[in-house]
Amino acid sequence: MGKELLTAPAGETLLLLGNEAIARGALEGGVRFVTCYPGTPSSEVPDTFFRLSQGAPYYFEYSVNEKVALEVAGGATLAGLPSLVTMKHVGVNVAADPLMTLAYVSAPGGLVLLSADDPGCHSSQNEQDNRIYARLGGLPCFEPATAQECKDMARDALLLSRTLETPVMLRTTTRVNHVRGPVTLGAVPESIEEKPFVKNPPKYVPLPASARNMHVRLLDVLEKARQAAEDSPYNTERGQGEVGFVASGAARNYLSDVLADDGLEGTVRVLELGQASPLPEDRIAAFLAKCRTVVIVEELEPVLETEIRALAQKRGIAVTIVGKGENLPRRGEYATPNVRAAVRAALGRQTAPVETLSVPADLPKRPPNLCAGCPHRAAYYAVRQVYGDNAVYSSDIGCYTLGFLPPFKAADFLLCMGSSISTGAGFARASGKPVVAFIGDSTFFHSGITGLIDAVAYDHDLLVVILDNRTTAMTGHQPNPGVDTTIFGENPNPVDLLALIRACGIEPVKVNPLNHKAMVAALENLAGRHGPRVLVAEYPCPIHARRVGKAKKTPPARVAGDPAACLAVRDNLACPAFAMEGDVFTINAEQCDGCMYCVQLSADIKPGKKEA
Amino acid sequence: MQRARIFLTGVGGQGTLTATTLLARTALDAGLPVTSGEIHGMAQRGGVVESTLLIGGYKSAVIAPGEADTLLGFELLETLRALPMLRRGGRVVGNAEALQPVGVCLGRECYPPLEAVLETARGYAAGVTMVPAISLAEKAGTAKAANMVLLGAAAACGALPFDLDALARSVEKYLKPKIVALNRKALELGAAAAQAGQAA
Repeated sequence: MGKELLTAPAGETLLLLGNEAIARGALEGGVRFVTCYPGTPSSEVPDTFFRLSQGAPYYFEYSVNEKVALEVAGGATLAGLPSLVTMKHVGVNVAADPLMTLAYVSAPGGLVLLSADDPGCHSSQNEQDNRIYARLGGLPCFEPATAQECKDMARDALLLSRTLETPVMLRTTTRVNHVRGPVTLGAVPESIEEKPFVKNPPKYVPLPASARNMHVRLLDVLEKARQAAEDSPYNTERGQGEVGFVASGAARNYLSDVLADDGLEGTVRVLELGQASPLPEDRIAAFLAKCRTVVIVEELEPVLETEIRALAQKRGIAVTIVGKGENLPRRGEYATPNVRAAVRAALGRQTAPVETLSVPADLPKRPPNLCAGCPHRAAYYAVRQVYGDNAVYSSDIGCYTLGFLPPFKAADFLLCMGSSISTGAGFARASGKPVVAFIGDSTFFHSGITGLIDAVAYDHDLLVVILDNRTTAMTGHQPNPGVDTTIFGENPNPVDLLALIRACGIEPVKVNPLNHKAMVAALENLAGRHGPRVLVAEYPCPIHARRVGKAKKTPPARVAGDPAACLAVRDNLACPAFAMEGDVFTINAEQCDGCMYCVQLSADIKPGKKEA
Repeated sequence: MQRARIFLTGVGGQGTLTATTLLARTALDAGLPVTSGEIHGMAQRGGVVESTLLIGGYKSAVIAPGEADTLLGFELLETLRALPMLRRGGRVVGNAEALQPVGVCLGRECYPPLEAVLETARGYAAGVTMVPAISLAEKAGTAKAANMVLLGAAAACGALPFDLDALARSVEKYLKPKIVALNRKALELGAAAAQAGQAA
């Protein structure tokens, strides 16, 4: 996808990823300000804006964390600019503090918060349901289910937000962010109406006295948003009969496919809700009144179910409401089989078990692995050499979380983004055991730094290893405040990580982790000390270095001596470039990155020649 | 119109997602409605990459076990692992060659033989076609084109709702000019291998 996402005219149809469609929709809504913290499954939205940003009509930044992203965009919407803030579901926890007051303070320019939830934990530490945040924070909420809706709802959420001057949530799930389908485009407006800021402190400064009034205003706004939901084209009804289904989010797709596959389309009533919060009560009540039984089909929490049960009671509608239960669990992703079972159960039919092939349960697993040439592998190996199982390892969120796996086993606990230093500090204080906390450079800037400040202030006894690979690797190599190079060239203002650590009161030790001797020497030295200590293991992510054209071309390593003598290195490093040809150890030249770390650990492995 | 659920599986870096997008574009150009899905994130870093392509008016991009009409396996072990996705009478087109997962390299786990795929699918699938995609891609110019070898094979054995020419046109239209010739060659080698395999 090139520049056409920005330039393609109305009426054209493009094959778009849900996340690309969201970016286009925001452009069609006149977006002028985009902030984010990258996080799967949201990352391609900001990545698209970043890629198109040069000469584009909007400001874009990868903010230091989600809270900052929401606060910066909060300033922009107060200044009158239509703004988009993107993050994954757990990112909203970081941004929760400003979020809870943002709707009070209002969003004159318009502000959409994209929350990309992850039912099924495809790439996340939990499966929290952020529709509840929308209700908690007083944000109207849109829930797209297709690529086309991603585009249309991103636009309409922004327009509604600007009209009501209130923040709106666009809540997606992994399957929707990563769906790819045809999207028919609308027009991108060339200009937007200016909304200059007019000073009015009682309206924008939530002192207790003004906050009470703001809450009154917010409730009035939510009533207007409810009326908008009553008339929303994203809430649609079809079919006949006494059995009805109310579906939202991706569950709408599963329901549609089941009804089509089983020839039931038209024989049951369906109410699809794409704009369900605030609850369009009149519309839902009218639907309930036509049914004997209604099944609520929604992934994760019984959000709609609870609201609709309450609505039926309030309006005195006698209808059987079926929600979370055996077929429709409160965890994980839905798919057609369980929705089919729920549909059939509501119709009083049996469900035949799905026939599938069975394969051996003990097939080799293929866990994600640190890449060939990844400097984290070397850092973990060296730390293990010095500390072994004596230390407790506090981990954080990033590629390096993969150090969890053997042979490194370098993650004993993990709470959230930026927690490794503070949680490690608490554990060290409580247990008296040696603790090594790992954290990446982006994660350190995100919120690890506050843990370091605490560790200094309270003299917590732990070694912090900052795995500084000069990028945000896990989510797709987005720049962070410390990087020196991006795909667009040199960063004019990199934040000096070492100076920052010094300013916290610690003299950091910086080592290239691919230099095994230097790394072990530095670790042994630090292991003998007490109090908070920081080792910065700095070496660029090889994939990032290649992308920004800074990779040194090194030939792959090769087995030059006895392959049997290399097996210990194989077991200790588990590099994906290692392979066995029958019983013989070898190094796959296609896979090898030429980092030359294994060469330092075995006399039987040598650097390759330039061209043999 | 024929509806088809195609499940694609491979290893990070194999071009599974590029192949998925190319198929989706080809279907769209043929006037067929398309929904496609992929799982990103942890699937990178050498993990399993799964994607789906649903043609003919499905709304959900998810394929549940027992639902796939076609299974395209870009790596042998991953093809075996994904066989439960197949419906009875579906088709398997796979790469007969392996990429060792770390547990196999470390000698902790055993890599299954090609026969394991054939034996498991026999009597359940309507057809199983396995081609040496990496070797053939190297013959075309680079191992990276193994994804196109597999697409060529799939088209040749009728596992896709469009033919080899349509795929070749998509390669011309959607890939960078520099790599078009190589990828077309890969398509052809895959198709020839599939036809030879069926004849044998």
